[in-house]
Amino acid sequence: MSEDDAESQPGPGVVRLTVPAEPAALDVAQDALARLWERTGLEPGLALRFETGLVEITANVIEHSFDPDHPGRAFTLAVEVADDAVRAELSDNGQPATIDLSAVALPEDDAESGRGLAIAQATLDELTYEHTGGLNVWRLSCRRPPG
Amino acid sequence: MIEFDVSTDAHGIGVIAPRGRLTMVSAKQLREAIDGLVGAGTAKIVVDLAGTTFLDSSGLGALIAGVKTTRQAGGDLRIARPTEAVTTVLKLTNLDRVLRPRDSVEAAFDV
Repeated sequence: MSEDDAESQPGPGVVRLTVPAEPAALDVAQDALARLWERTGLEPGLALRFETGLVEITANVIEHSFDPDHPGRAFTLAVEVADDAVRAELSDNGQPATIDLSAVALPEDDAESGRGLAIAQATLDELTYEHTGGLNVWRLSCRRPPG
Repeated sequence: MIEFDVSTDAHGIGVIAPRGRLTMVSAKQLREAIDGLVGAGTAKIVVDLAGTTFLDSSGLGALIAGVKTTRQAGGDLRIARPTEAVTTVLKLTNLDRVLRPRDSVEAAFDV
């Protein structure tokens, strides 16, 4: 994408990137995830489940965290494949989210939007949100089966 | 990151084949492809998902919008040959009832 992209690999099972908060950032994130899954050999079914949830949260951040005219919008995504779980932390300095994760439900079948958080909750084993230190912080994880 | 092949078959049925990830990045293109076919008089559309490697809620929204648009024009939108990634999301959202996957593009409008 642009030269603003910053991706680093602190270790083989970790990827960290800071990207402008615009739709194309989703492709950048998914390209980085594809390389991470290949490097770590994460189980394909688990990788798909985790990526499905992560994409929904990332899209939510891109769409809702920022005033559309706010300059310098960016978010940071860190993903780690550990022995016991795959985890992500997504942080941005946009507006605090006004969502209640305990009250997420699927909309009517003919709705054209509003399914993202329900999909994320269904695919992820852990999904939390907090606004702390001026940042929106989302934490996501899927447990890995033992062995 | 995504390409859309759009064609019309011998029976006048439109076929759209998104290849790559169908997400918030590309959902608008799918909506435009569907609207383009319906605007040109093709209200029966099959979305061939054999090359669609990933589907998110925005992509789902574009498919649901397509169902509405085509039905309002007297046709329908059907999906064929979904990959495992697509099937997973359809089942999670219970939309496999509305968007019932068909085994082939050619037979998508047979029943």
